[in-house]
Amino acid sequence: MTDKRIDLPQGTLDLLILRTLALEPQHGWAISERIQQMSSEVLLIQQGSLYPALHRLERRGWVKAKWGTSENNRRARYYELTKTGRKQLERETDSWKKLAAAVARIIESV
Amino acid sequence: MLTDLAFRLRSLFRRRAVESDMEAELRFHMERQIEKYLQSGLTPAEAARLTRLEFGGLEQVKEEHRDARGVSLIEMLARDVRFGFRTLRNNLGFTIVAMLTLALGIGANTAIFSVVYAAIIRPLPYYQPNRLITLSEVRPQEGESAEAGKRIWDCSYPDYVDWTRQSRSFQALAGFGGDGFILHGAGEPELVFGVQTTINFFSTLGVKPFLGRDFALGEDIAAGPKVAILSYGSWIRRFGGDPQIIGRSIQLDDKSVNVIGVLPREFEFAPRGNAEIWVPLHIEKDLATRRSLRWMPVIGRLAPAITQQQAQAEFNTVTAGLAAAYPQANGAVRVVMVPLRERIVGQVQPLLLILFGAVGFVLLIACANVTNLFLVRAAGRRREFRIRAALGAGRGRLISQLLVESMMLAAAGGALGLLFAEWGTLLLIAAIPENLLAFAPFLRHAHANLAVLAFLCAAVIFTGVAFGLAPALQIARGGEGETLKEETRMSSAGARTRLRGILVVAEIAFCLVLLIGSALMVKSLAALLHRDPGFDAKNLLVFGVNLPSTSYPNDPDAIRFDKEFASRVRSLPGIVGVTSNSVVPLSGGGASIRFLIEGQPVATGQEKECYIREVSTNYFPVMKIPRRAGRLFNDSEDSESAPRHIIVNEAWVKQYFHGQDPLGKRVKFTFSATEPYREIVGVVGNNAETGLDRPDEASLFLPFPQDTNSFINYIIRTDGNPANSVGALRTALRALDPQLVLIQPLTMEQIIAQSPSVFLRRYPSYLIGSFAALALVLAMVGLYGLISYSVAQRTRELGIRIALGARRQDVLRLVLGEGARLTMLGVVFGLAAAFGLTQLMKSLLFGVSTVDLGAFASVTVVLALVAIAACYIPARRAMTTDPAAALRYD
Repeated sequence: MTDKRIDLPQGTLDLLILRTLALEPQHGWAISERIQQMSSEVLLIQQGSLYPALHRLERRGWVKAKWGTSENNRRARYYELTKTGRKQLERETDSWKKLAAAVARIIESV
Repeated sequence: MLTDLAFRLRSLFRRRAVESDMEAELRFHMERQIEKYLQSGLTPAEAARLTRLEFGGLEQVKEEHRDARGVSLIEMLARDVRFGFRTLRNNLGFTIVAMLTLALGIGANTAIFSVVYAAIIRPLPYYQPNRLITLSEVRPQEGESAEAGKRIWDCSYPDYVDWTRQSRSFQALAGFGGDGFILHGAGEPELVFGVQTTINFFSTLGVKPFLGRDFALGEDIAAGPKVAILSYGSWIRRFGGDPQIIGRSIQLDDKSVNVIGVLPREFEFAPRGNAEIWVPLHIEKDLATRRSLRWMPVIGRLAPAITQQQAQAEFNTVTAGLAAAYPQANGAVRVVMVPLRERIVGQVQPLLLILFGAVGFVLLIACANVTNLFLVRAAGRRREFRIRAALGAGRGRLISQLLVESMMLAAAGGALGLLFAEWGTLLLIAAIPENLLAFAPFLRHAHANLAVLAFLCAAVIFTGVAFGLAPALQIARGGEGETLKEETRMSSAGARTRLRGILVVAEIAFCLVLLIGSALMVKSLAALLHRDPGFDAKNLLVFGVNLPSTSYPNDPDAIRFDKEFASRVRSLPGIVGVTSNSVVPLSGGGASIRFLIEGQPVATGQEKECYIREVSTNYFPVMKIPRRAGRLFNDSEDSESAPRHIIVNEAWVKQYFHGQDPLGKRVKFTFSATEPYREIVGVVGNNAETGLDRPDEASLFLPFPQDTNSFINYIIRTDGNPANSVGALRTALRALDPQLVLIQPLTMEQIIAQSPSVFLRRYPSYLIGSFAALALVLAMVGLYGLISYSVAQRTRELGIRIALGARRQDVLRLVLGEGARLTMLGVVFGLAAAFGLTQLMKSLLFGVSTVDLGAFASVTVVLALVAIAACYIPARRAMTTDPAAALRYD
C-alpha cells in the first residue's frame, strides 16, 4: 500500500494545508482526507505530523482555530484561513510554481 | 509576533486547558479514522491497528505538537526540574556527595574571589580613583628596574613645591608623612598613629569630612592654628562618637590641638592604614630646604584629559630643569609614576592571583569528580534513557533533561557554597595579622556582594555545564540505533571508561601541580624561618619610648634619660641586657643615608647610599652580632665628645671596599656641608634589616651618644619569656617619668611572625596546602571510584582468568597496573604543567628554585603511594573474586 505513495517534500505540508483551507474551514481529519483525495492518493501524510503543522500555522497567525460541530455531530476543532494566511498562501503558491517550473526545466533539459 | 506571544503565554499559563484541547483533538481524529475503516468493512481491531500505525507514535506526536505550540522551553524546563528533583532525591547518597564536592569547590573559589574583588577590582573610595597617580623620586643607585620604582615612594619637599608651580598635567599634587602622637585626655595616654598632610590632601583624593571641615590655608605653617581631623574609627572608639567633638581641643604630645573634622566612615588610606589622626604638614626649615632629603610620598590627580604618559613626558622636562638647576641634589634623579591602586595592592596582587589560580584548580578537580559520578550514574541509567527514547523522547529532550539535573545539582552546590564562602572569607581575613591588615583596609570589605554573587552564578553555570555535558553527549552519541536489549557486561567498558580515565588523569595532574606549589611554599617558609637573621632573635622584647621635645629639648637630655632608664631596667629581675636602635631589625622600616668615602671622588648626585642605624654602644654584644674586625662601640671612646666613629657590616665592606680592609678609612654624609668625616673603627657580621627575605644589605652604625633620637626603640634581652617583663618595664618607665608611655611592646618572635616577608609565605603555605590536601582527597576518591567501577565491570573477566589458572597476585597486579598507568600519566602531565606554572609564583619563593628537585620528587612519590593505596582496596576485592560466582553473575 505504501509503495505507490510518495513522502511529502520538506515544507510543502504547510502549503497544502493552507490550500485546503482556502475553500472552507475544516477540521484536522478532513484536511488530511482532502489532501489525499486531491492528490489521487499519491501523497502520503503521516497523520501525526499534521497537528504540529497546524499549530505552527496557528502560532504564526495564518490560521485560526475554534471548536465546532463535525459532520457526524461531534465536537471537532475547525481551522480557518486568516487574512495573512491567505496572503501567505498566495506567496507560497507563487514560489512553489516557480520552483516546480525550474526543477522541471532542469530535468527535461538534461 | 503578537499572536505568537499570546499563543505561547496561553500555552504556558493555561497549560491544562491546552493539553486537554490537544487530547480531544487527537482523539477526534483517531475515532474519525477508525469509523472510516469500519465503514470500508474492516474489523474493529484491524481498524484500530491500522489507525495507530498510520498516525505514528502518539506520544511523539504530542511532543511535536507541544514543540509546535512553542511552549516547550519553559514548560519542559519545569517538567525537567520536577523530574530532576525526583531523580536526585531517589539517589540521595550520590546527590549529597556531588553537592558537597561542588559546594567545597565553589565555596573556596567564591571566598578567594571575595578577597580578590575587595583588593583588586573594587574601586578605591575616592573620587575618580583611577585618575590618582603616585609620584616618586628614584636615584640610579636604588636600581633602574620598574620594581625599584614600585618599592620606593619618596620625594623631597622642595622638589614637590617646584612641581606644583611648574607642572600643568596635574590638577593637584598632595604629599603626606607618617607621624605618631601620645594622645592625652582620652583615657590612658597612648601612642596613636597619625599622618601629616599637605592641606590639599583630602581635596586631591576627593574626600570631604563627614563632620566639620577640611584643612584651610594658613593651618600649614608652624605659627598657624593647631588643628586635627579624626578618622571615623577613632572618633567612635576614643570619643564615643560625640557629635560635639568639633571645636574641642585634644592634647597631642605636649600640644593642644583643635579637632576640626571627622572623616567619613568609608574613608580608608591603605599606605597609612593605622592612622587615627590627621594633621597639616608643618614644614620645618630643614625639610623645606634640603632638596636631597627624600621622605615625602606624593599623590597627584591628573588634570582632565591628560594621560599618565603625557604627565610623565611633562615631568621628564621638569625633572631635567631641576637637575640642571640643582646638580648636587637632583643630578640623576628620575620621577616614577605608578597609579595609586597599583601602589596599594602591588604587593598582594601576585599572591592573590596565585591563590585564585590554585583554588580554580580545586574547582576543576571537583568538576571532574562530579562528572565521573555522573558518568557512572548515566551508565546505570542507560536502560531508562533507552526506554524513554523508545517512547518518543527526542535526543534533545534527554540531553536537556540531564543538563537540567546537573544544573540543579550545581545550583544546590552553589547555595551551600555561598555559606562556605562567607565563612571562608571570614577565615581568610582573620588569618591576616592585624598590623598587616591595617595597611590593607580594603580587605575588610571582602564579603558577598553583587559582584561576588555574579561570580558565584558564573561558577555554578560553568560547573553545571562542565559535568553535565559529558554524560549528555554520550547519550547523544549512543542514543540512535541501539535497541532495548541489555548489553552484556563484557562489552560495556569502551569509550565511557576511557573518558573517565582521562578525567582521573586530569585530576591527578591538577592535584600534583597544587601539591608541588604547596611544597615549594612550605619549603620557602621553612627556609625563611630558619634563615639566620644575623642576631639571636630569641628572648628579645622590643618597645618604643618617645621623648617629647618640651621635657627633653637637647641631645644631653636624651643621653641622660637613656643612661638612667637602662640602668634601672638592668637591675630588674630576669633582664639580661638593654640596648637600643633607631630602627628595629625586621620591623620593615629602613632609613638610609648618602655618603662619600674619603679618597673616592664620585660625580655629583652619584653618592653611595646605605642603611643607617643609631645604636646603643652595647648593641652588638646584646644582639649577639659578631665582631669581624676592629672594635665594637664603647662608652669611653664613642662618647658625645669623642671623635666621630662608625661601624659597618660585612655587606658594606664587600659593596664599597670590595673586601679590602676599611679600618681607619673615613666617611662623610652629604646632606649637609658641615658634616664631619667619621672613621670606621669596626666591622660586624651581616644581619637582616628590612626583611628575612632580603639579601644581606649594606648598613652603617652610629653610636647613640653621637647621634641621638627623640624616639628610642629599646631592645631588651631576658632570660625567660620576654612578654612577662612588660609590666615591670612599664612600671620602671613611669617611675622615671610619669608622662612617658611604653609604646607597642612586642617580642622579636612576634615581629618576625607578623612581618610581611614571613606572612607572604605563611599565608599561601596554609592556603595552597589546604587546597592541595582537598585536591588530593578528591583526586583519590576519583581514582578509587574508577578502579572500583572497572573491577565491578570486569568481574566476569577476572573470574574467567582465575578459573583458567591466573594466580591471585596476577589479578592484583592487573588491577594495580591499571591504576598505576593512570597515575603515571597524571604525574607526567602534572610535572610538565608544574614546570611552567611554578614560574608564576617565583616572587613568593625564598631559598628554593621554582623547579626544586626535592620538592618535585618527594611530592610525586607521596602522590604515587597514596594513589596505589587508593587502588589497593578495589584490587584486593578483585583478587578475592570467586570464579564460580563471577561466571554465574550475568
